[in-house]
Parts: sequence; C-alpha cells; structure tokens
Amino acid sequence: MTEPLLEVSGLHKHYPLTQGIVFRKQVGAVRAVDGVDFTLGRGETLGIVGESGCGKSTVAKMLVNLERPTRGQIRYKGEDVTRLSGRALKAVRRNIQMVFQDPYTSLNPRMTVGDIIGEPYEIHPEVAPKGDRRRQVQDLLDVVGLNPEYINRYPHQFSGGQRQRIGIARGLALRPEVIVADEPVSALDVSVQAQVINLMDRLQSEFDLSYLFIAHDLSIVRHISDRVGVMYLGRIVEIGRDAEIYDHPTHPYTQALLSAVPLPDPQARERRERIILTGDVPSPTNIPSGCRFRTRCWKAQERCAQEVPALAVPAAFRLATGPAAHPSACHFAEEKQVVPPEERES
Amino acid sequence: MLLEVRDLHVEFRTRDGIARAVNGVSYGVDAGETLAVLGESGSGKSVTAQAIMGILDMPPGRITAGEIVFRGRDLLTLKEDERRKVRGAEMAMIFQDALSSLNPVLSVGDQLGEMFVVHRGLSRKDARARAVELMDRVRIPAARERVRDYPHQFSGGMRQRIMIAMAMALEPALIIADEPTTALDVTVQAQVMDLLAELQREYHMGLILITHDLGVVADVADRIAVMYAGRIVESAPVHDIYKAPAHPYTRGLLDSIPRLDQKGQELYAIKGLPPNLMDIPPGCAFNPRCPMAQDVCRTDVPPLYEVTDVPRAAGTDEPPADRTSACHFWRECLHD
Amino acid sequence: MPEPTPPEHHLPGAGRTPEDGAIADTGMGGAMDLATAEGETLEGKPGGPPGTGPSGRDAGGASGERARSLWSDAWRDLRRNPVFIIAALVILFLVFISLWPSSITWMSPLKCQLSKAQEGSQPGHPFGFDGQGCDVYTRVVYGARTSVTVGVLATLGVALFGSVLGGLAGFFGGAWDSLLSRITDVFFAIPVVLGGLVLLSVVTSNTVWPVIGFMVLLGWPQISRIARGSVITAKQNDYVQAARSLGASNSRLLLRHITPNAVAPVIVVATIALGTYIALEATLSYLGVGLKPPTVSWGIDISAASPYIRNAPHALLWPSGALAVTVLAFIMLGDAVRDALDPKLR
Repeated sequence: MTEPLLEVSGLHKHYPLTQGIVFRKQVGAVRAVDGVDFTLGRGETLGIVGESGCGKSTVAKMLVNLERPTRGQIRYKGEDVTRLSGRALKAVRRNIQMVFQDPYTSLNPRMTVGDIIGEPYEIHPEVAPKGDRRRQVQDLLDVVGLNPEYINRYPHQFSGGQRQRIGIARGLALRPEVIVADEPVSALDVSVQAQVINLMDRLQSEFDLSYLFIAHDLSIVRHISDRVGVMYLGRIVEIGRDAEIYDHPTHPYTQALLSAVPLPDPQARERRERIILTGDVPSPTNIPSGCRFRTRCWKAQERCAQEVPALAVPAAFRLATGPAAHPSACHFAEEKQVVPPEERES
Repeated sequence: MLLEVRDLHVEFRTRDGIARAVNGVSYGVDAGETLAVLGESGSGKSVTAQAIMGILDMPPGRITAGEIVFRGRDLLTLKEDERRKVRGAEMAMIFQDALSSLNPVLSVGDQLGEMFVVHRGLSRKDARARAVELMDRVRIPAARERVRDYPHQFSGGMRQRIMIAMAMALEPALIIADEPTTALDVTVQAQVMDLLAELQREYHMGLILITHDLGVVADVADRIAVMYAGRIVESAPVHDIYKAPAHPYTRGLLDSIPRLDQKGQELYAIKGLPPNLMDIPPGCAFNPRCPMAQDVCRTDVPPLYEVTDVPRAAGTDEPPADRTSACHFWRECLHD
Repeated sequence: MPEPTPPEHHLPGAGRTPEDGAIADTGMGGAMDLATAEGETLEGKPGGPPGTGPSGRDAGGASGERARSLWSDAWRDLRRNPVFIIAALVILFLVFISLWPSSITWMSPLKCQLSKAQEGSQPGHPFGFDGQGCDVYTRVVYGARTSVTVGVLATLGVALFGSVLGGLAGFFGGAWDSLLSRITDVFFAIPVVLGGLVLLSVVTSNTVWPVIGFMVLLGWPQISRIARGSVITAKQNDYVQAARSLGASNSRLLLRHITPNAVAPVIVVATIALGTYIALEATLSYLGVGLKPPTVSWGIDISAASPYIRNAPHALLWPSGALAVTVLAFIMLGDAVRDALDPKLR
C-alpha cells in the first residue's frame, strides 16, 4: 500500500437520547458509529458497503467535518483533524471534499451552475484569483463532460446524471486530495450510473485522487474499489482487497450480504446457495453484547455473546498467505465462496 | 392468457405540452407466470401498471387507445363500480413504499381485516381472525400479538410483508408489484422476494414485477418485457434475453452494470439521456443513443419483429419461445 | 375575528425548484428515490414543472432554453390565473386611490353638511350622505388610504420581525428555539379582539401607529412559526450541507442558501394576512379602540353608521362593501400566490 493519506482510528459517533425539557437526562445513546478504523492511501479507492443504518454515511460526514466525532481520531497526513478549528480546519477541509447522494437536493436551486461550482473559490479565495474564477469553472465543466457554456443555467435544467457531474465539479474545484462520495450514483438511472462511474474512474487518475466510496450496491463498490470494508451496525466487520472480500469472504455477514445480491444472470439461480438471514438489524440504541452480528448469525455460540471479536486476521488464517488472510471480526471465521464464478462469455 | 394488454396508449396533458408516457404497449401474463417489466424512470412501466389497475389519475392522464383484457373482459369498457370489484378481489398491487401505502392511524389488523369486511362482508371479529392468519402466512413472527400494532412499529421488511398480505388477502388471480423491494436492504430484499415467489407458486397467480433492477429480474422472472420511452423494445423468456439480447438497448443495459463476480475494466455506458416524452425522436426512440443506428432508424418506427433462430440458452430445451424485438437490426444485434 | 388562516404549512418544498418535488426525498437508498421519481414524474405531477422527467429531462441538452426558476414559473402561472388578475387589478386600484384620492373625488372627506344627514344618492353624491351629512363616496375613497396603510405597514412589520426571529430560531435551534416556541405559544393564546380592547383603550394617540404596533405585536408569532418551519426544511437540504462542508460561514449559509429557498411560504402567508389586518383595523375602529376621528377609516364609518341602519342603510353598506372587497382581494391574491409557489399543486 502507498503512504496513508487518511488514518481513522477508534472513530465513534454517539447521539445522546435525552429525556426531560429543563433537566435533561441522558437515557441512552444511538451508537451510529461505534469504533471504526481504516486507512486510505494516496490514489486509492476504499469502498464502504453496508445496509441502511449501519453508520456509513455518518462516517462520511465526520470525515468532511459535518459531524464531530464523539471519540476517536481522523488523521490527515498525520495531523488529527478532529482537534483543529478555525484557519487550520479550513485548510484541511480544502483537501477533503464530498460528493453527495442526491443530485436533486445537493445543488441550490437558486444558484446558477457557475455560482455553485464557483462557491468553493469564494469561501477559499486563496485558491483562485477573482478574475480567473470564471475560466476555472468553465474548465471544471469541461473536465466533467459538460458544455462550458452551461455556466449560467440553473440546476433544474439538467438531468440527474448531469447534476451529479455538477456536484463532482464542485467537489473538484479546490483540487482536493480526498473525495468522500456518499452513494454518488444510487439516485441515477442504470444507464446513467455507468457514465458517472466511468467519469469518477477517469478523474481519479487525472487528478491523483483518493476516494472513499460509500454505497449499498456491492457490484458498484467492487467495480470501483481497490479495497472494501463491510460495515454492520456501526463497525467494520471485514476489510480487505476487493478479491479478498468478494471471492474469499470469511465473515458470515459478508457472506450473507454477497449471497443475497441478485445477479443479472438467470442461470445463477440454480447454481447459487443463498444465505437468507432471519430477523432485522438490531437497533443502534441497543447493540447486542459481544459480537453485534450474533443475533442473526447461524454460527453464533456462547463465546460470541461474551467476547467482542477484534477486526484482525483470524487465528485460523494467521499463518496462511492466501486471499483468505485478511482482517475479519469473527471468532469462527471460515472461507466460503458465495459468488459463483462467471460462466457467461462476453 | 390471464391478462392481455393490447396496444395501450397513455398520455399526460401538462402545462408544457402532451407527454406520451405509453405508446402502444402490448404484453400478456398467464396464470402462474412472472412477467418482469424492466425500464428506467420515465419508460412508462409504472404508468402501464396503473392503467391496468385503474388507478391512473385522469385527468391529467388519458388512455387514448388500447385494450386491457382480463379474464376475457376489456377492463377499459367496464363501469367504475364494476372495475372496483375487480380491484383488490381479482387483481391487487404492491407498492414500493410500504410505509406511505399503509394508513398510519389504523392498526395493521384493521387494515388487513377491512378487505374482508368490505369485499366479503365478514364481521369485525372474523375479519381480525383472518388478518392474523394472513400475517402468519407472510411469516410475521408473533402475528397474534402484533395484529394490533401500527405500521410504524414494523421494520421496512415487515411492512412490505404486510403489503403483500394485503394484496393476497382475497386471493387475486393477478398481482402487480411495482418495485416491491427497491426500498429495502439487500438481505431483506431477498427474504421478501422469496416470500413473493413462494406465494405466487402456491396460489398459481400471475405476477407482473415492475423493476429497474436487472439482478432481481434474473432471479425471479419467467419472461421479460423491456420498456423504453413508452414502448416495449424487447420481450423474451428470461434465459434468452440474458444470453443474447436482441435489442441494442437491452444489450447496453446488460453491459453497463458492474458485476459482482469480477472486477471489470471501464464500464460500457449508453451515451446520452433518455428521451423527453414530449418530444420523442422520430423513427426508433432509441436511435440517438444507439451504436447501431442507421438512416432507417431515424425515419421508420420499428415494428415488433418476431425473433427466430435464436441460439438456445444452455440447459433449456423447451421449444423456441415467442420472442420479439423492436429493432430493425435485431439479427445483427443478436449475432454480434 | 377572522384569524389569518395559516395555510397548514403545506410548502415543505417551497424552497426547492418545482421539479424537486418529483424526487421524494426519501433518504433511503437512491434507487428508491429513483423509482419514486419515476412514479411521480408521470402520475403525481404531470402538471409538468419544467424539470419533471419528461419535459426537463434533456432540457440541459437543448440549447436556447430560457432560464426558469421557481419565481419565473410562478409568474407564468399567475399571469394565466384569472383570480390573480382580478385581485391584482382591485389592489392596484386601491393603491392608486390611497395615493391620489383627489383624482376621483372632488370634496374633502371632512367637509360635512348636517342638513343633508342621511340623505340618499343624488347627483354629485352617488353614495349619499351619512349621519353627519358627510359625503359617503368621498369618505369611502379616503378610507382606503388608512386601510391600505395599516394593512401594508402591519404586514411589513410582522413579516420582518417574525421571519427574522423565526428564521434565526430555526437555523440555530437549541435553547433559544425552545424559548421562542414557548413565547409564540403564549402570544397565540391571546384573544386578538380582547387584547386589542385592553391594550388600545389606554392609548390616546390619534395616529395609525398604535394600531399597527398592536398588530405587529400579536401577528409576528404566526409568521415566525412559518419562517422557522421553512428554514428548518431548507436547512436539511444537501446543498446546505455541501456548503457547510466547504467551510462556509453561518451568514453565508443563511443569506445565500437558506433565505432564498425559505422565503416563499412567508410571502404567501403575509399576503393573506394583509387582508385580515385590514379587517382587524376596521373591527378595532368599530369597537372604538382603533383609529379615532378625524382619521377617515372604513371601520369608523361603519361604526358611526350602524345606529342609522334602518333610515340610512347606504351609509353602512358602502364602506362595508369596500372593506369586504378589499379583504377578499388580498386573500385571493395570497391564495393565487400560494398556488403558484407550491410545486406540489402543479
């Protein structure tokens, strides 16, 4: 791996639940993010997958400082971002930008495209001199594949895919090093998703970007990511290179998740073993003791209720060097192939 | 055929002109068959379903031509009160968003029971007993205790089960499911689709599954109808279409989705945008985005060609099924 | 007393462009948004605001399309709405005669001939005379000035005061917000007429200011509630988060991103309230605590004429009629503006 640009360790975000109006009393907490560690290297793409409510969006918000972590560190080039404020924070913010999920609500309908993409320069005037901004904005439009003459149009004159390109252009304006993309294509039509994914791929090499790519669609995450982390109930349960996670998953949750993804291949229906999980995800206010997945896990035993499994290479694979030897937070980790290898000729 | 839609046209009058949402759609479903209607936003797949159910907002919507023949009767010629008897009892619909489709101030038991009170004239007590039965059947744990709970007390997956129970209540012959699992997480999605497929087998119902997800389609459908700009561009048995699409749009869709089982190179992307329904391109609606487009595509609307001499999908030996494609060059597309 | 009906805050999306309504902000996976868009584009709002799927889909692609915004769309709607045209003509006429009453009258409203008291219509005096022998026509025309002045100034005061307080409370939230909400509750509990009787009976000034001040005092909570709600709605939009993640200051967020998108409901409610303030002025004057002679006002005239209703009904009917038409015109205007600004109704 290349040098780590971003190091996240022990990241927690708890939202207190209070009772009473005058004398607030904390009665519990929503543990949205509950101890997340990962690193992101320069030029790398780390995909984070998980179901709704697993805390992946909260992680994204903490990275761009929209939420303050309850505990834990986010180190950018070795400096703990969570302790910064004022000018120093602003400088770091320049380098970590976000692309939002919904291209319909993430652009101010009252501003022209030029104003939207140019706003970063108004907030960080040192990046581009005033006279140069319009040209910069037009360059950015060109870079994301939009006609630079659209600079005076309003967002609603564009389709969803084009709006997402505008959102990406805004994210690029300050020449950041890291882009946090929270479900950037899930609001788009299938045929348009591919266009935006390809664009993000191209921009990554062009601008030497690191991506933190958050999504619930496992296929898209595999396509774009170098490494993938699987989140469940506020924690990463398994992390590794894309082939390690998809072809050699060792955590039962990852296996269930992968086996549930419908494959666009009718023949896979017969060839595939499905793990259908029972029950629902427990509430983040009341996280099960020990392993948080144990309430839905078919392998759960006594030990799972008592010991919290650490996110590390499981003992069984510690001496192995194969693709199964990657961090997985399970006491009974074992390899299981759940995605049938492709047979379709193409 | 249980249901046959013939040459249906629906348009919407809007402030900016007439949006032609459905332009001559024909498809059919047999009892016990699952037809997947696949399309992107604005393809007219939901509008067609609403026209079948008779829940299209009119105005601004207008059915300008076509027939919807259900069990031998053309639904479009029925009077509203006759139509209402068909709805719910003979055909039912499952919506995407279970939370907004259920009434938040009535308990789920009341809502399920209401079907029996209204259509079957059962007493409230009997209706409640039937509601519990239904909840059991869609495998909601502890149905007897939960029958008095309100929709918001259930999780997304459980709510979608309740929607399914409601649709199944009167054992209709046809179910239309409009993106039934889109709002759900993958693991829950699998549970709900399994349940739906199982109930369909048990009651030998026709199922129209409306979706944009090529994965879900491959998992459950028998036949697929692909819609684009208010028309069916290709219709075929599921195995055939994934094996060898006979329309460039279908082909583009299949190529543009990333795969779970391999890390691809650059994705194929269909260029351009779906058409403006107020200004559908002349000729084939797909021609501005089509890599194979020729002059004829810009002038002549392609008819639905019968697709014959198809290479059979491996492992299937049924006789060549009826397969159509609305592409002048389906042969080239198929053998490309 | 007709309390201005708050239009049950049905402008949750008032801050957005019309077509944003097409994408229900489900917050769920984007795929859901996508599908919702599909459903709604064609069924819910085929009224077709510009960006809804069919029409606006490739608007960005078609060059030469005129710029459209919520406001220009609303204006287009309004121009075609007969209710708006009638209301606007009536209001323009009212404004005209309050500025230049002498252009359609030829007497002083204060010059009266007791000898002609209660006489009916006659040449040169189309509306007849009131109990004091003053010309009813002249007094009705001059009364418009007071009514319009009171209505407009009270509305401006209420709108400014209410939206600033409500907007800030909505934006910053927390303890100030709770405090403000309780204060508005207290003000809502004050019966308007009773409050007016008590408060204004101690005032001896002859000007319109005490009445206006009283209206602002009792009217601001209504606007502040609306403003607070719409600021909270606007604040949740992703574009506000996007600007915040760029490091934008609070004042930039408020002025640039929130206010333009939150102001529509306030305008609507204020327009409707204007009509009711005019009626309230008449009510208070009728009760003897509002304006006092020699100020000319419809309320005063209605009050003065009521004892002679059997002998000289015209002296009561003309000012009452003028009042009714004026109030109706403002309420109709407010209704039309609300419909035009509410994307959901399209």
